[in-house]
Amino acid sequence: MPYTRDTEVVQRLKPEAMTQAEQEALAGIDDLDFEIFQHKMNMIALEGKETTMKLGASTGMRWGDVAFGIYTGLGDLAVVATGIWFHAVLGQIPVKFIVKHWLKDETVGVRPGDSYFFNDPFYSGVHAADMGLCVPVFAEGELICFVGANVHTGENGSAEPGGQPIAAKSRYEEGLMVPPIKVGENYTLREDIMTMLGTATRDPRTMVLDIKARLAACRIAERRIQEMVADKGLAFFRGALRKILTTTAKAARKKVSLLHDGIYRQPRFMDIVGNEEKIIKIGICLEKKGDKLKLTFDGVSPMLDAHPQNTFFQGIIGLAMVYFCGWFFYDLPANNALLEALDWEFPARTVVNASGDVPTALAPAIQTCFVHGIFLIGARMTYNLDPERAVASWFSGFGVPYFGGFNQWEEPVADISPELNATGAGARPDMDGVSGAGAFFATMSDCSDVETTEADRPFLYLFRNYFKHSYGAGKYRGGAGVGFGVSIHHVPWLAMGGLGYGSKYPATLGIFGGYAVPPGFIQTVHGSDVKKHLADSDRSLPVNLDQLYGEANPEKGNRALHNITMGIKPFLNGDTFYMPAGGGAGYGDVLERDPQAVMDDLRSGLASRWMAENLYKVAFDPETLVVDLEATKQLRQKAFEERKQRGVPMAEFEETWSKQHPPRDILKYFGGYPHPKPKMDFGLPM
Amino acid sequence: MAQERKDLSYEINIDVGGTFTDFYLNDQASGAFLTKTPTTHYDLSVGFMRGIKDLAKSCGLGRRQLLEQTKAVRYCTTVGTNALIERSGPKLGLITTAGFEDTIFLGRARSWADGISVTENKDLARINKPTPLIARDMVVGVRERVDSAGQVVSPLQAEEVLEKLQVLVDRGAMGFVVCLLWSFANPVHEHMIKSIIEEEYPEDYLGSMPVTLSCEVSPKQGEYTRFITTAVNAYIHGVMAEELNALIHDLRSAGYKRPLQLVQNTGGMKKVSRTRAVLTHNAGPVAGLHGAAALGETYGQGNMVFTDMGGTSFDIGVITGGRLKTYDFIQVIDRWRTNIAAIEVKSIGAGGGSIAWLNELMGKALNVGPLSAGSMPGPACYDQGGEEPTVTDADLVLGYLDADNYLGGEMLLDPDLSQEAIRKKIAAPLGLEVAEAAARIRALVDANMGQEAFNEVALKGHDPRNFILFACGGAGPAHACGFAPYLGVKKVLAPFYSPVSGAFGASTVKVQQVWNHSATMKLFRWKDQAYSQDLDAFNRVVEGLKDLALRDLRLEGYSEDRVSFRLELDMRYGMQYNLTKVTSPHLTVRSQEQFKDICDRFTEEYSKVYSPEATYPQGGINVECFYLTATVDQAPAVWTPADLAGPEPPAEAALKPRKAYWRALGGFKETPVHDFHKLLPGNVILGPALVDARHTTFVIEPFWRFTLDRFFNGVLEPA
Repeated sequence: MPYTRDTEVVQRLKPEAMTQAEQEALAGIDDLDFEIFQHKMNMIALEGKETTMKLGASTGMRWGDVAFGIYTGLGDLAVVATGIWFHAVLGQIPVKFIVKHWLKDETVGVRPGDSYFFNDPFYSGVHAADMGLCVPVFAEGELICFVGANVHTGENGSAEPGGQPIAAKSRYEEGLMVPPIKVGENYTLREDIMTMLGTATRDPRTMVLDIKARLAACRIAERRIQEMVADKGLAFFRGALRKILTTTAKAARKKVSLLHDGIYRQPRFMDIVGNEEKIIKIGICLEKKGDKLKLTFDGVSPMLDAHPQNTFFQGIIGLAMVYFCGWFFYDLPANNALLEALDWEFPARTVVNASGDVPTALAPAIQTCFVHGIFLIGARMTYNLDPERAVASWFSGFGVPYFGGFNQWEEPVADISPELNATGAGARPDMDGVSGAGAFFATMSDCSDVETTEADRPFLYLFRNYFKHSYGAGKYRGGAGVGFGVSIHHVPWLAMGGLGYGSKYPATLGIFGGYAVPPGFIQTVHGSDVKKHLADSDRSLPVNLDQLYGEANPEKGNRALHNITMGIKPFLNGDTFYMPAGGGAGYGDVLERDPQAVMDDLRSGLASRWMAENLYKVAFDPETLVVDLEATKQLRQKAFEERKQRGVPMAEFEETWSKQHPPRDILKYFGGYPHPKPKMDFGLPM
Repeated sequence: MAQERKDLSYEINIDVGGTFTDFYLNDQASGAFLTKTPTTHYDLSVGFMRGIKDLAKSCGLGRRQLLEQTKAVRYCTTVGTNALIERSGPKLGLITTAGFEDTIFLGRARSWADGISVTENKDLARINKPTPLIARDMVVGVRERVDSAGQVVSPLQAEEVLEKLQVLVDRGAMGFVVCLLWSFANPVHEHMIKSIIEEEYPEDYLGSMPVTLSCEVSPKQGEYTRFITTAVNAYIHGVMAEELNALIHDLRSAGYKRPLQLVQNTGGMKKVSRTRAVLTHNAGPVAGLHGAAALGETYGQGNMVFTDMGGTSFDIGVITGGRLKTYDFIQVIDRWRTNIAAIEVKSIGAGGGSIAWLNELMGKALNVGPLSAGSMPGPACYDQGGEEPTVTDADLVLGYLDADNYLGGEMLLDPDLSQEAIRKKIAAPLGLEVAEAAARIRALVDANMGQEAFNEVALKGHDPRNFILFACGGAGPAHACGFAPYLGVKKVLAPFYSPVSGAFGASTVKVQQVWNHSATMKLFRWKDQAYSQDLDAFNRVVEGLKDLALRDLRLEGYSEDRVSFRLELDMRYGMQYNLTKVTSPHLTVRSQEQFKDICDRFTEEYSKVYSPEATYPQGGINVECFYLTATVDQAPAVWTPADLAGPEPPAEAALKPRKAYWRALGGFKETPVHDFHKLLPGNVILGPALVDARHTTFVIEPFWRFTLDRFFNGVLEPA
């Protein structure tokens, strides 16, 4: 063991080769027994997930950012209960690490009653805020499988609270990063290790409760599996667990084979590096041939040496599975055998394939920026097969306040707010997207009640409503995200910042003519007099983000606008913080939207009069909202004609377009415009 | 034939289901009668009165005679639920805190997943939130704010309320729902709004409109579920009141003199006039669970898994220590997540109507459900146009059901249609014989039900192998031997009343109600690792709930000395979100030591459910919600055991044998069939065998033994 990161084990995302024992066991499994077994395994995973959620404490745990998996003895994930689909392929890496390194190591070993904790993103794949715990399951004296729970705990003692430090310049500022380490033996957690983990973070209670929650769930699953093996036999269990992988792989390749062959490209841009307004690019290429997909890249900005918007390649594969498990393979089991239908090649030393000591705390930003490209490709790729599911994207840019300090009970808090789970879903070919649907990467999560958040977070929410300028318009519009504002309450101060992107360049693009999600940004007011206005029952105080920027807003103080990524700052009692959670992207041409649907949006506050008149070109009576169909038809016809007049021949367009160039100062990290290239490889160790 | 009597001796219990309305009549003198009538969805009272007529006939009485001699009619109604599903409620206006007008639409984001199956909510491209009960333009915000400490941060202004009220009235509001943030902690603004509305629209005016406050309907933390619970209650209140008043009128006209009692999902019952509409949802299954608990007491059994397999769903409930608990259950009504303290009865999509299908993508893997053929068109054998093979079709093909005597001969089944549906959709594509395909359908649905039931018990921290299984519902006794092994239970009770378990259960329900209130109290503080000294705060909440309960029960006619209380607390470790419900060892507290008792009880329960490793008392222990159950002292239901006959069934109980398929025996075998109604207590039947009852069939699989016990209930055990 060279005491460095293991670059080999992270490559093993696809199922391990079948063992002789599995092969033999698999042959004798009856189809009906197998179906019953699969159902039971799903029940066990579900019980594990629900138990984990019930017992934990972090925001992620509270609101469902949880996955519970059953892994084969070799570490492949066979069954998972989650709405966070990247765990379907990422949760296995720490397990495979344990099998590779600790199983035969005399100083560590893998024995009944052991438990292992991990949060090094190199193995967990996303970021250090995601933490996991797994335990080996033994039966008849043999290691038969592992079970484990992964949860976004958040706070990990990094340079900024909440586990995602924007200002990190190397991984050594990103807090606790633990490769799989034994934290318990003989069915007991080690107090020395728990003390170390607790004291390494700002919020020891959350750290400890989350670990205990994961462990309790694992122990229950361990018992259930041992009971099943006692009933059905070891060979059956091994064979059936492997059969889940083989049937999934076969089904995945079959489904891929139904798509048209072709090459799909999608460039993606992100508008923030650290906290600087710079642009970087991820050029995505997905080739479909026969029953396989191959992911390659066509121009990716180089790895960022001193900014945390880098990701390890495995995180990219993980996020790709968010699209594949939730949208394309929605009707298949979720496990790492789905990857049998996907191959990949990553350019070295780029933002999508980090190495060395570069920080990766904001890897989720790069990953979601990438996967939005997969959503766009996915809609085009699947249109022939399943047009109902060729849909526009949910919001992809994040938009997360993070905070640290003490709450009204004088207890430490360091976390993110739950409104990242209140984004809008993308529009569909036959209907609008769902407003406030969740987060695309954690679709079963929820955004909490205001009262629940205020009960132990020192906030007074000023409003939390759908934001009418949060979604992409179209023939069908995206679902709205929420806009919200909070004032620091009950406590003298709290430190706050924001995470995300898309303040300058839209984070989420429309599909088939639909509009992108508008850029969003944060407003803060230090020294705000908002509490005085509240005490005066001032009705002119904004009740939504739209009104925040109106002239009638009476709030006074030191007002500032920030990108969605905002470095952490102290906020005093009464200071205010406002932020949108983005909506979904639009589908189809705005001029084809049913005028009545536009009026419905006006009535429900999801559209403005300006939008109805200027975007959708609807003629209507502003008092009664009765549509003049004939006048609308004429307005739209005129708009079509104007579009045609703006049109130019392709060659002319290309000539003009190719001469355009972004301002040079925003290309600092781009890596050579227009076709970025990776950095030179100096052969640095991992 | 019953004699006409002057005393009030009969009790009639009614449970409305999707397909049938079930009736159970009990009378100390003449025993029990049960019947079923088709549910008349257009007007539930038609089926209701028809069933009473059938019962009267069974007792040898006229309907008026029966009703005049009836001391109680207890009703598990679905009127409210139907109003929700059909969206037939009134146009309501919602008044809320300005800035939070979208709360019920946002639904904590994932409200799209509430009330739909796992399969549906995995199809992310096609999800949708339910159509709101209150349109967005019928929601207005008023500037006001109370904070988490219950302090008024922004006072409410009456003129704004009047102004917004007018907006709602102009838009056609027929009632008002008032839901403000933190109103359960400080209801001053909600009460103020109610006063303003009542002043503007006094009761003696025709324009008077009902006002529903969230602090009264649902005084619990978490605005989404509080608002929704209040809105659902307001939405179904009027419809229910109208229908139930009409029914009461019909009953009175027909001779009934006592109040109509409604069974509630909290496990008790109240008069119609003292019942909150939202508490009637799912009352039938809860009553069924209650009946199992009551019967279990007779058997000296405290731990039971209750199941009810009907046409479209399989209900699962858990009884521990002889009691029904609410656990941390979230009652979803239709698509609406509420916060009522309901007893949990989980429903999964598995029943006689569940459709079998092949998943082509997964290599033609056999699946059963969650789609159901329902009652219309129903299974293929109903000959109502259904072409999909269902569990009932499988049961018929396998010879378990008597095609000529289904539901006591009220419905004829066509086995050829079942054969054809299974052959075409399952057997032929898999290259199987039709019977083997049917057996696989049955085995799979049994496994799914058994494994889901296992999980339900396990998730509550119990081991189902130490439980007795109740197999109820029209299809329960037919499948019990199939799904019981997945729970590992050693004994299955398939009661004589299983086809009408909800109606039977209603006969055992007591006058009882749960009163709750959210209040955060840190009984053990993390900060200084010490127990709270604020005894008054704790006792104030309990006394407040007691006052509410006693006032309510006095209005119902019960004196204080007949009322007993039980205090349950939602508790958690500091920073945890989810709550564990614990029965408090003290109703009120007199010392810090008693706070320690409560904390110890919490840790004990927590440890039992989730393992000692999971406990973390050092993190602090909070109480978040108080539940006070007030129960009126009533005599428990008593069943008199009959004398035992020998194990051999009487000759007259033998019916014509049927060919039935037994996988374990390699195919169809001539199988003895018995008439349930002619068996005697003590009779034993070894499987394979079938026992036909009027509304169900007991399928006794090979290596199982059926015994009719002293209470005329079937007991199934591995032989």
